[in-house]
Amino acid sequence: MEIRGSSVSVSAQPSKSLVAASRASTVRKGAERGIEWWSIAAVAPAVIILLGFLLLFFYGVYQSLTDLKLGRPLVRFIGFANYSALIDDDDFWNSVRVTLTYGVSAVLVQAVLGLSIAKLFASEVVLARLLRPVILLPLVLPPMSVALMWTTMMDPQRGILNYLLSLVGVAPFPWISDPATALVSLILIDVWTYTPFFALIIFAGLQGITDDIREAARVNGARGWATFLHIELPLVAPYILIAAVFRLIESFNQFDIVFGTTQGGPGNSTAALSVQAYITAFQNLNFGRGAAIMVANWLIVLAGAFLTVRLWQAVRRRVT
Amino acid sequence: MRVYRSGLTTLVLNLLVALCGLVLAFPLGWIVMMSLKGQADVMAWPPNFIFTPTFENFRVLFDFAQAGATSYGTIKVDFLTPITNSVVIALGSVLLSLVVGVPAGYVLARRDIPFKEDIAFFILGFRFAPVLLVVIPLFNIFQAIGLYDTYLGMIWVYQVVTLPMIVWLSRSYIEDIPKDIEEAAAIDGAKPVRIVLHIVLPLLKPGLIGASLLVFLLAWHNFALGLILTSTRAPVTVALLKLLNPGVQFYPVMAAGLVVTMIVPVVLIVVGQRHLERGLTFGAVK
Repeated sequence: MEIRGSSVSVSAQPSKSLVAASRASTVRKGAERGIEWWSIAAVAPAVIILLGFLLLFFYGVYQSLTDLKLGRPLVRFIGFANYSALIDDDDFWNSVRVTLTYGVSAVLVQAVLGLSIAKLFASEVVLARLLRPVILLPLVLPPMSVALMWTTMMDPQRGILNYLLSLVGVAPFPWISDPATALVSLILIDVWTYTPFFALIIFAGLQGITDDIREAARVNGARGWATFLHIELPLVAPYILIAAVFRLIESFNQFDIVFGTTQGGPGNSTAALSVQAYITAFQNLNFGRGAAIMVANWLIVLAGAFLTVRLWQAVRRRVT
Repeated sequence: MRVYRSGLTTLVLNLLVALCGLVLAFPLGWIVMMSLKGQADVMAWPPNFIFTPTFENFRVLFDFAQAGATSYGTIKVDFLTPITNSVVIALGSVLLSLVVGVPAGYVLARRDIPFKEDIAFFILGFRFAPVLLVVIPLFNIFQAIGLYDTYLGMIWVYQVVTLPMIVWLSRSYIEDIPKDIEEAAAIDGAKPVRIVLHIVLPLLKPGLIGASLLVFLLAWHNFALGLILTSTRAPVTVALLKLLNPGVQFYPVMAAGLVVTMIVPVVLIVVGQRHLERGLTFGAVK
């Protein structure tokens, strides 16, 4: 029906369909020769646009090998001088530490909480079915809005969080205003925002476990925790790890949440590599050094992604 | 599907779910409340949960003719321009990505071209691109060729975020369409272009609407690109940060700004859920 109707609408526009037909016949000839030029033409614009970004990426890597600064007319190639300067710089190693701590601890906490929330909502009690859309909420908000929202709530004097703490008799917490607690506060914001991402993916994994599998486990004498530990957990482990790959990459690159709350401060207690690169390039106007910091950041992202992908592959092989 | 549970277990589970919902929804509720508070209510300690709502903060955001005369002193806010900027940039990016990305998605799903899997991998790899490393050189280039602070430049740069996503999503939606339909049409004598335009595209529409909403959301979220590559054409996420500047008394106005940026995604999800669900139930074979 659908097909018949559409071919009628084509013949209603003779000129257009003629063009289409003639072009299509050349395509068929092309296909017979083995290469579909028409298909290549359809992919080309997307590939060209993205190749532009790839070139920019390489250009950025090249810039990290120069002494490019704003207002400097002569740009010199200085080899690895930017990198050796970074290696001797305590601020740089502080940034590496902040990035690693932020990314790894946020992802670990999110994985555990996400698994619990997924299990909770998979229990399909009345409220779980009603409140499922709420899980999506933090994920659809702009990260910058989330950051600013938590900044107002974490205000040490008038913030609602300290009021809630005072209700249960806890002394005011300095949150993002103290170097000792700022990083933990940021990780908390990241956890609130992205735990739902883990929960949604793990939830999908739990849906894939059929009643047959559970029944077989029960027949074999597995009960409660044993079913969870030996049957469910190994089966959802690949889902947890693939979510971890995505989140680890994005939290190693995290910029919006740090920049919206602390801009790297107080002091340099939350200066993740991406924020440090921004400050170096656009506030100190040292583009070469900033690019070098971003290259370092990118290498950390790559290493983290590689390790988690390997782990994911290993786990998936064991499951199947 | 699960085994029988006692009443107590069910109650505890429901309470835990409610706690989750509360933790996820409370910050938003609090911000909405704050955006509706007058100055006296914002300064009150302990915080008021019951107060007379006022739209003063939203007026300050949008009514820039009179924005100077507020109870907060002189604030000059122009929030309408950044919202317009964000809408133009996000819509433009989605449209360009659709025009460029859907044909690519179709070919990657259905056709045979050399290095097909390599191209697919290359495109998907941009999901993990270090955006700042691309933007640092762009800043200089954009200023040199006059694309700095233009809609055109922003829409092009946003492709690094939106284009891979559209290619990826449209490819997976096309793979969901049964091949039989296209093959049947080909046997009936329909030419490839006609098959794509009159059979694949109509079937793809719900999926594309869902994908467009999702990608619009990604564009709406973006902050770093606008921060670095614009000044007067700054998107709303950048304008938000400026509202924070000098301290506590601006919080309610910023809360109003936050509510505005959050309404858009929440509305999109409410509207889009229907499209997403329809997109999953193609059921067009026959």
